[in-house]
Amino acid sequence: MAGEAAARGRKARNFATFRLFPRDGAAGPDDRVFVRVDNNAYTIPGFGDDHDQDPSLSPTAAADQFPSSTSGPLPDHVRQQILELGLPDDGYNYLLHLRELRPAAAASSFVPSHTTRPEPLPLDVKAYDASKVRVASGKAEEELDEGRTMCKVAAKTAPVRRVGKAIDPDVARLLDESDDEGLEEDFVIMANQAEGDEVDDEEEEEGGGVFSDVEDDEEFEDAEDEPRQRVPRLLDEQFDLLALEEYGDSDDDDGGVRDGEHELPNEVIDELKLFHNQNVCNDEGYRTPGDFVRRKLDTTTAEEVDESANVIQKCAEYAEKYLNDPAQDEEVVLVSESSDESEVWDCESIVSTYSNLDNHPGKIQAPRNPRNLLPKVFPGETATTKDIIKLHGKEKLPVDYLPQRKRKSEKEKKPKPAEAEPEAPDTEYFKKVVQKETKDEKKARKSAVKEEKREARKAKKELKELYKFETQKAQKVAAVTGPSSIRLK
Amino acid sequence: MATELAYAPPMKAGKEGFQGTQEVQHRIRITLSSKSVKNLEKVCADLVKGAKDKSLKVKGPVRMPTKVLNITTRKSPCGEGTNTWDRFEMRVHKRVIDLVSSPDVVKQITSITIEPGVEVEVTISDQ
Repeated sequence: MAGEAAARGRKARNFATFRLFPRDGAAGPDDRVFVRVDNNAYTIPGFGDDHDQDPSLSPTAAADQFPSSTSGPLPDHVRQQILELGLPDDGYNYLLHLRELRPAAAASSFVPSHTTRPEPLPLDVKAYDASKVRVASGKAEEELDEGRTMCKVAAKTAPVRRVGKAIDPDVARLLDESDDEGLEEDFVIMANQAEGDEVDDEEEEEGGGVFSDVEDDEEFEDAEDEPRQRVPRLLDEQFDLLALEEYGDSDDDDGGVRDGEHELPNEVIDELKLFHNQNVCNDEGYRTPGDFVRRKLDTTTAEEVDESANVIQKCAEYAEKYLNDPAQDEEVVLVSESSDESEVWDCESIVSTYSNLDNHPGKIQAPRNPRNLLPKVFPGETATTKDIIKLHGKEKLPVDYLPQRKRKSEKEKKPKPAEAEPEAPDTEYFKKVVQKETKDEKKARKSAVKEEKREARKAKKELKELYKFETQKAQKVAAVTGPSSIRLK
Repeated sequence: MATELAYAPPMKAGKEGFQGTQEVQHRIRITLSSKSVKNLEKVCADLVKGAKDKSLKVKGPVRMPTKVLNITTRKSPCGEGTNTWDRFEMRVHKRVIDLVSSPDVVKQITSITIEPGVEVEVTISDQ
C-alpha cells in the first residue's frame, strides 16, 4: 500500500488530527471537544464525535446520518423520536437538526413549560376537536373526540371525555382583555385620545397659561413689595441723608416731590382745581391769593377772597400733615473715623479676624499637577501606558509634569488665582473710565498698544531662534528613546 | 525481493507484542502553542506528568523555535513630523509531545486542566 501511494507521488496519509475547541455554549473553559481538522480517510473510532449523545441516537446516527434521498421510510425508532418531539411525520429526518442542551445553556436559555398537558394519545393517532360538529340523522361516529353536548348522540353510546383546549383559557382571556397601552403604538393611542379629548386638552393648556401668568404677576408684586416691607436699616437712613445732601440742594422747587410718596392728596388737588376754576389768571400781572386778602387788587366776589384765604391756610395745613419732613426725624449719626495709626494692620490682628468657620487652614504646598484626577486606565483595557511619560508638542516636553503655567497648561481648566502682574502704565489707559478722549489721547493709547505688541513679538522670535537647536535635539532624542518594540499579548 | 516486502516487518518482542489492554496503540503527537510561555510550560509539564503517571512512553516536550511576528508602522497618522516608528511584535511558542497510547487515554489526559490561551492539537497515527 505504501508502494502504491508512493507511486502516485503522495505520502500515505494515515493519520488524524484533532484540535481542542471550546464547546458550543460552553459552560466553562474546561468544556472542550476534540474536533477533526484534516480531511484524511483515516478514522479513529474512539475519538472525535461526542460520546455523550443520546444512546438512542448514537447507534442510529452513524447509520442514518446521511440517508440518501432514495432510501425508504425512516426507521421506526427515528420516526418515533420525531413524533415524540411533536414534529410532523413526513419522511424527513428532523433529528439531524437537533442540538444538545448543555447544562449551562439550559439554565440560561431553555425554560421547560409547567402547564399540564392532556393525556397524550398514542403516536399513530391524531385528534381533532369535533365538539361542534352536528351529527346528521343520528349517526354517531365513535372516533369523534367528544367535548360539548352538541354530540349528544355520541354521549349515548360511549363515555364522553372532555378535551382540553389547545390554548390555555387563562392565556386566551388575557390576550383578549389586555388593551394595555404600554404595548400599543404611540400614534394609535394619540389617535384614539385625540378625537375625544382634543378640546379638553386645549382648554386645559390655555387655562394653565392664564394661571401661570397670574402667578407670575403675583410673584412679581410680592417681589416689589418686599423692599418696602423690610425693616428700615441704618444704611437706608444714611442713604436717604446722602441723597438729600446730593440732590436736595440743587432742586429747591421740587423739594417736596420725591418717589411718589409725596403725591399731593386728593383734597388738595380738588381745592386747587377749584381755585383754578375761579379764573384767577390775569394777564396784567402776577396775582396771588394774598393780594385778594389785602385788597390790593379788585375782587370780583367776596367769595373768591374767602376761597383764596382758605387755600393758603389749607395748603399750610396739608403741608404739615402730609409732607414727611425728614428734617424732623433726622438723627445725628456719628461715624467714627479711624485715625491713620490704627489703619495699619499687623499680622496677628489680621489673622485673628479670620474665623475657622470660613477658613480652613491647611498646609502650604507647592502646586501639584492634577495628573491623578482621572483614571487613565479604563476597565477592559489590557495594555496600560500609565508608566510611560508622554511627550507632546514640537519641543517634546512631558506636558503632564511641567509646572502649571497660565496659558501653556493643556489640562488645567480651573481659573487660577490671579497673579499680581505688574501693570504697565499703558494699561491704565484702557481701564480708566473714558468720558471724553481727545484725538491725541486716543492716538497715544493706540500707539502704546502697538509698541507693546511689537516688543512681545520681537522677544518671542529671539527666544525661538535661541532654542531652535534645542528643539531639534529634543525631537531626535524622543524619536530614539522609548521601548524598542511593543509586545502584543 | 518482492515477496520479502510483502511480509510485515519483524516486530519487536516485548512491549508491542500485544496491544495494551485490548486497545489499539497509536502514535500520538500533541502540539501545544501559545503566546505566553508561562502558561505553555505549565500545560506541558502537566501533560508529561499525566502521561508518565499512566506509564506511557513519552517524548518531549520538544521546543520548537519561537515565531516572532513583527509589524512596523509610522506613529503619525499623517506624514508630518519626525519620522517615528512603532515596532509591534507577537511571539508564538510551540511545544511538541509524543506519546504511544490508545486514544481514550489521551482524551483523559488532555481533559485535565488547560490554561487559557493555550491551543492543543492532537495528531493520531498508526503504530
